[in-house]
Amino acid sequence: MSEERNGFYQVFEVFSKKTDTSSLQHQFSLLAPNRDLAFIMAKENFFRREQVADIWVVKRDDIKRMSQSEREAMKHLNKDYRETKGYGYLKKKWRQYEQEQLTEKDIMGGGDT
Amino acid sequence: MTVASEHQLERFMNRIDSGEKIEANDWMPDDYREALIRLISMHGISEIMGALPEKEWVPKAPTLHRKLAIMAKVQDEMGHGQLLLRVAEDLMEPLGKNRDDIMQDLFSGKLKFHNVFHMEAPTWGDAGIIAWLVDGAAIISQTMMLGTSYGPYGRALKRICAEEVFHAQHGESIIMALAEGTKEQRELLQDSINRWWPSLLMFFGPKSKAETGHTNQDKNMRYKLRTKTNEQLRQEFLTKYVPRIWALGLTIPDESLRFDEADGEWKYAQPDWNEFKRIVTGHGPKSQERLSLRVRSYEMNNWVREALGKSALASEVGSYE
Repeated sequence: MSEERNGFYQVFEVFSKKTDTSSLQHQFSLLAPNRDLAFIMAKENFFRREQVADIWVVKRDDIKRMSQSEREAMKHLNKDYRETKGYGYLKKKWRQYEQEQLTEKDIMGGGDT
Repeated sequence: MTVASEHQLERFMNRIDSGEKIEANDWMPDDYREALIRLISMHGISEIMGALPEKEWVPKAPTLHRKLAIMAKVQDEMGHGQLLLRVAEDLMEPLGKNRDDIMQDLFSGKLKFHNVFHMEAPTWGDAGIIAWLVDGAAIISQTMMLGTSYGPYGRALKRICAEEVFHAQHGESIIMALAEGTKEQRELLQDSINRWWPSLLMFFGPKSKAETGHTNQDKNMRYKLRTKTNEQLRQEFLTKYVPRIWALGLTIPDESLRFDEADGEWKYAQPDWNEFKRIVTGHGPKSQERLSLRVRSYEMNNWVREALGKSALASEVGSYE
């Protein structure tokens, strides 16, 4: 009995996009015996009202997620050197040379905005 | 389950105290897991059992508009049950249990459901009172838990609360129509309030274990599963709804009910907590009838689960060929 019932339901994770231009967002998980029913359940469970442009259902077993320790390790990484805030001291430096530091907008300049 | 080291426990409590959210696969003490399973499976099953008294009113709703609205509400409640059972299942997985165990625990009486859903809903006034005041009470306790330390429960509650607002307004609309209706309609509504008042007071649970000999609220507050006591929630409910009930010219069947300015709280006659215990242990007026309805539908639909299970296995085998 136990073998049989464990083989019946699988966990699916549901993702959706609200509009064509919005990013995919995780909604929730659900139980379904197969992918087609998971898709129907996703519509019934999560989109009775909301506007939706696309729905993805993915079997949870096919997703690699971070463990608690992996998540914690990510928090401790200092990535200032990858971001503009790691170069904030330049503003003062340029003032010493009687120049304004170019802003992000100045650097990007030229392109269509 | 392993025995928790003091270090693990301390780190866990630090995470909770600093407002971090605990996720399903994170380390957690056994009694945190147990408290969550108890709370969330009870909540999930109550959503499903709560759809039953309302579903009785789908075929009898007075207009097509009302029928569509109450059908939508019943569907939402079942959807909320689905969300919450998923959260409970992920917590039960390490214990080797799943949804089937939750259903079996419900059928055997081990898993309890909310006191209000053991009660009768004989008139359309009850449909209005359930949606306005029972859902109103549910919103108060659910929004209190939005910041819960357990991430998946908080995310489920966020979805649920958004829909509860429609439920409460659907209820307001029904009671407003009755309150502004004929003498008979007003009497019907007044009868429903009289019938539901003790159940509404019981909804939030006893003030302390002095009333029923047992409460989980201290532990649940320490783990930040909840942030307010049963009595604080009941007081909020009274502040929100008593003036509105009175404003409609309706009465509440408790002559001692009043707001005490000096103490800054509502004084009310305690409901019969022995009766509460009788109701939640499956001895309410509709407990057995609603449970049998659930058992019957579970058994009648068993062939669907079996057939889908077989086709799921077959398609998996097929995909590897």
